[in-house]
Amino acid sequence: MPRSIEELKERFEREFASISGMEAWKSVRDTFLARDSGIITAEMKKLRELPKEERPAFGQAINRLRSTIENRLQERHDELKKAALAGLQSRLDVTRPGFPYALGSAHPIKRLQAEIERIFVNLGFEVFDLTEIEGDYYNFEALNMPRNHPARDAQDTFYFDDTLLLRTHCTSVDVHAMEGRKPPIRAVTTGKVYRRDPFDATHSPMFYQVDVVVIDEGITMGDMKGMLEVFLKQLFHPGIKMRLRPGFFPFVEPGAEVDISCIFCNGAGCPTCKHSGWIEILGAGMCHPKVLRMSGIDDSRYSGFAWGMGIDRVPMLKYGVEDIRLLFDNDLRFLEQF
Amino acid sequence: MKISTEWLGEYVEIRESPQKLKDDLSMIGLLVEAVEEGESTSVLEVEVTSNRPDCLSHIGVAREVAALYRRPLRHPEKRETLRIEPDRIPYAIEVRDAGLCPRYTALVMDGIRVGESPGWMQKRLRAAGMRPLNNIVDITNYVLLEMGHPLHAFDYDILRGGKIVVSKARQGDRMATLDGIRRELDAEMLLINDAEGPVAIAGVMGGLESEISPTTTRVLLESAYFRPDSIRRTSKKLGLSTESSYRFERGADWDITVAALARVCRLVEDLAGGRIAGSMRDVYPKTMEPVRISLRKQSAAALIGVPMEREFIESTLCRLNFRLEESGPDSWNVTCPTYRADMELEADLIEEIARFYGYQNIPATLPPNRNMGRPSPVSRLENALRDILVGLGFHEAVNLSFADESDAEEFGTGQDERIGVRNPLTEDMKYMRTDLAPGLVRAAKRNFNYGRRTVRLFEIGKVYRAGPDGIPEERNILGILGTGGFTERNWKLPDAGFDFFHMKGVLETLLEGIRLRRCAIEPAGAVRWLNPAEAAALKIEDATCGLMGSLSAALEEKYKLRQPVYLAEIEFGALSGNAFEEIHFRSLPKYPFAERDLSIVVGRDLAWRKIQTCIADLDIAELASVALVDIYEGKKIPSGKLSMTLRLTFRDREKTLTVDRVQDFVDTVLSSLHKTYGAELRSL
Repeated sequence: MPRSIEELKERFEREFASISGMEAWKSVRDTFLARDSGIITAEMKKLRELPKEERPAFGQAINRLRSTIENRLQERHDELKKAALAGLQSRLDVTRPGFPYALGSAHPIKRLQAEIERIFVNLGFEVFDLTEIEGDYYNFEALNMPRNHPARDAQDTFYFDDTLLLRTHCTSVDVHAMEGRKPPIRAVTTGKVYRRDPFDATHSPMFYQVDVVVIDEGITMGDMKGMLEVFLKQLFHPGIKMRLRPGFFPFVEPGAEVDISCIFCNGAGCPTCKHSGWIEILGAGMCHPKVLRMSGIDDSRYSGFAWGMGIDRVPMLKYGVEDIRLLFDNDLRFLEQF
Repeated sequence: MKISTEWLGEYVEIRESPQKLKDDLSMIGLLVEAVEEGESTSVLEVEVTSNRPDCLSHIGVAREVAALYRRPLRHPEKRETLRIEPDRIPYAIEVRDAGLCPRYTALVMDGIRVGESPGWMQKRLRAAGMRPLNNIVDITNYVLLEMGHPLHAFDYDILRGGKIVVSKARQGDRMATLDGIRRELDAEMLLINDAEGPVAIAGVMGGLESEISPTTTRVLLESAYFRPDSIRRTSKKLGLSTESSYRFERGADWDITVAALARVCRLVEDLAGGRIAGSMRDVYPKTMEPVRISLRKQSAAALIGVPMEREFIESTLCRLNFRLEESGPDSWNVTCPTYRADMELEADLIEEIARFYGYQNIPATLPPNRNMGRPSPVSRLENALRDILVGLGFHEAVNLSFADESDAEEFGTGQDERIGVRNPLTEDMKYMRTDLAPGLVRAAKRNFNYGRRTVRLFEIGKVYRAGPDGIPEERNILGILGTGGFTERNWKLPDAGFDFFHMKGVLETLLEGIRLRRCAIEPAGAVRWLNPAEAAALKIEDATCGLMGSLSAALEEKYKLRQPVYLAEIEFGALSGNAFEEIHFRSLPKYPFAERDLSIVVGRDLAWRKIQTCIADLDIAELASVALVDIYEGKKIPSGKLSMTLRLTFRDREKTLTVDRVQDFVDTVLSSLHKTYGAELRSL
């Protein structure tokens, strides 16, 4: 056998041994077997230049070499393909960080506001959009707080003039919902309210409330309790307990303060609930007959209940936000946590 | 109100621990906020609501305790007769304004030795949070804390003319009150005068001159009933709230003036050696009647929501000293105790019944629902916008609704229309905000200060302006701010700064998300707070409903931002009518589309909008979309020109497009752009 065939075989074996992947495989195949420029083709072309008697032997040797190469390559190809299917090719470093798509966050109060509205819509309530700049009549008078009423003290008010003010609560929804409407009424409103309190950890001149009112024939305190329970359990946790104590708000009679079992200690007593196991969460009551009458509802036929709750208290309780000022600071380190 | 359990025990037997008392009282509406240990007594910190002035005393709380535990109430001893014949000291009471002072009861005592009050009394006063002064003042305070009725002692020898005149002040009257402050009085304020001038502000505070001094030997004791509104007005006007005014303005008991005076008299006799020298005068021209309310058992049951036993109603109200007369089957005429200033309607009585039935014992029920829930259109839009922005990486901010003086000047969008708060909390909260941008810029600055340079914020809230008729208008605005990197620095993509087109993309995404297709973003005219080179307006049919762009260089400088800040403000309230367009489904195309990229060279000032319009005007039905996929300036492009690569997508809904047709369309587009704007095909 001519020396060149032996050399070729050795060269093939060398290159074959170094095939590590499909790319390398292709390059070895092309080097040897490419139809126009492959080594085997080139050798075949040499055949014609040889003396006649040497041709058969050389031809056979070349053909053997070609089929050896073809077989070896085919085997290697199958191996590589198998390995690729088994996923044994060089691995991606999957531990590198993924692309940082940005995700923002809803403000904790606004998220709760939306959630609260959703709960009430599901309970058959109409959501009212009311203005924050409100008339004295709607904020106070029609809610049984005439001028000089002591209850106005607790709600130091921002005024624009003698009759226009920044609402101190969302309770004016009671009046707006009753005016010009006939029961059955189920109304809710949420939004900003304002009191002239300087900032501290638990006070802000602006905060958020939700107020609801229900008026129909035969509405009882038991109904108020039932609806409160549904709402509070949906908002906080189905396992919370609730209790009502007598309380006073000029626009309701009987009035109630509503406590929930402390969500930090589950009623066992902790600093948040001042070791009482209960947290005061909202004010409620049966609509005051005077309030009903002032807004044109026949109080001999209809009764109803109303309640109002500070929304800012909820993230403070639910997430343990200890300072109300954080809610209005717009610090990303705070916002990103929600 | 601080209530000493030791003192309370004098009027009602207490077997319960202070903790138990705290819990039980809280459940009948007397919220005990804390129990503290005082000098040999526990002190309950009771929060008395403004409708229950009758509980602002130890006897008042004892009445509730007695009713709660069904125990008898023990009243303190008092001197039974307040008369001597004849008066040793002549004096006169003249009430000129019986409207504001329906009852004025007084007497004069002599032989007083002013000194310290006994230890037991001092201890009780201290437990209730009062500082002992001298026996006479202490006695009036003691009776106030015991019975709840405010009293006042004048030094008789200082009173000119031996006379008390109750009348309104004259404008310009002045007087020094006990706290040493000279006060200007107005004509609405009720005063206690002697024959010559004011000696006390009725129901609020005594005068400095007639105060009890160590040398006082004769006193005039006042026990009166003043109208709540009047006292409240005076107290507010003077900014002076006292134990006395606090009770009168909530409603004192007009029927107790004599009993309280008798009690004081007894204590002055026992503890300060006093003797009656001038018999009691009780100026009470018009007898006041207790409140009567009719009550039906059925009303109570209906409002509370549980069946009520007659017996329970009667016994509860009787224990609370209401008098019941039957007025029919299961109905009563109820006469209320005179100290219950809160009683007016049947509902007030029902609350008493519910209080003692126990709110905790009322079963929870759910009323049948006869309403359909309805979300507000504004909330719906707000929630949609919020969800999209959160998904795009923006954090929601909430700023105060107030604005600084300078905001309107700097942001210049409503100086004339801004609304001022009459009694602002601080200087920088003098106005209602007219824009969201100032708050967002300040929030960005604050975050820069914490070391953040990539800030993406949005706020959904109201702005406030005076409307054309001066009536305030509130508008719902969405404000967006973006600055810094487009993404956090990462290894996949080179760092790109958040710029105008990122913000524009945010707005376009929002519009798409709320299905508002009739909206266009156009170059804006001059906007004070925006950089004039990068300002655009959001328009629906020529009406501007939003602005966007980069913050002006002047404001960037003023807030020392040191990087471009992009802002948008959209009045989304105005969009709500146009948003959420109906969805009309189009069946999916059956034939494939063909895409061709066309790179053209045009003048660099040629607006993309013009190219779009030029192509749209060709009305090629098969042209489904034109996208701008690349812009290139530089090598091989003549100066003053740039190259744009347009991706044209063609589709025929009826049949497959042939290569030749597509080429025809592309040629048409190119020749039109060439004719209109001199566009040339870019040679590669």
